[in-house]
Amino acid sequence: MIRVAAVGDVHMDSDLLGRYRPALERLPERADVLLLAGDLTRHGSTEEARSVAQEFGDLGVPVVAVLGNHDHHCDEADAVVGVLEKAGVTVLEGEGVVMEFEGGRLGVAGTKGFGGGFAGRCASAFGEREIKQFVRHTEETADRLGTALRGLECDVRVALTHYAPVPDTLVGEPPEIYPFLGSYLLGQAIDSAPTDLAVHGHAHFGSERGRTPGGVRVRNVAHPVIRQAYSIFHLGTSSNDEDS
Amino acid sequence: MADTSREYDEAALQRLLTEDAALGEQGIEVTRREGVVVLTGCVESEARRDQVARRVADCLPGHEVRNDIVVVPVAAPTDPEAIP
Repeated sequence: MIRVAAVGDVHMDSDLLGRYRPALERLPERADVLLLAGDLTRHGSTEEARSVAQEFGDLGVPVVAVLGNHDHHCDEADAVVGVLEKAGVTVLEGEGVVMEFEGGRLGVAGTKGFGGGFAGRCASAFGEREIKQFVRHTEETADRLGTALRGLECDVRVALTHYAPVPDTLVGEPPEIYPFLGSYLLGQAIDSAPTDLAVHGHAHFGSERGRTPGGVRVRNVAHPVIRQAYSIFHLGTSSNDEDS
Repeated sequence: MADTSREYDEAALQRLLTEDAALGEQGIEVTRREGVVVLTGCVESEARRDQVARRVADCLPGHEVRNDIVVVPVAAPTDPEAIP
């Protein structure tokens, strides 16, 4: 069994320093790894990234993250990644990482992802340059996620995104904004590999549980949704639990 | 000509809560009726909750602001979920 902790949308800044630490102190007893599903900061400044590094660094377990839309706002994403990686956080964008634990090899592939909507109600790369750029950004992130997932050599495979891969976990959000919350292309990428779990954030008013059309369990771990410091998933168990 | 200022004001306010350099909050819903503004959603601290309410009050003078924004708890989880 591999124990995966995950949370997204922590929106750190210096005013929150220390807020998560009490719950993180005993993390190594509970989990093998912590996944951060984007929106680590409020505005994506390097100063805020330093708060993320301080709060989520030196936890005693590996930390793997993707960036979210907030982390791009200041146009300092490369510097934000630099600060996080200097603190030992692995930041994925269309890449994968494999970690060896007592319970086996865990592979995590991650991307921020992007919007566009879901089957039957999605944007197309047609018309103005701006809408084509929007859709192609989603296509590129999804393509890279699928390639990274399929390339992982591991026992348990997890997809980590900020944007949602399915509409199930958006229930509670206004349907009008679904195209800004995720894309079916991410779900299709996840289904292109034998993925065991997909986690994402971004949808603060969404729902916790869903599945891709291929049957992969999807969990929205946005902090306002899980309402705890992080969720823990036990993967590679032999449970017959067939809940969604 | 119909008075459309209310709709435009609400749209502008919703954007402001996200785009204001001091706020950056995307998870707040603003509902206005009969001189009362109700704020709902989640933030990460009481200070951020109060900051949002002050900004809304500044933008809508003469309105009563009811601040029902919730600060998200950060307790450690009690039960893991088994993913077969």
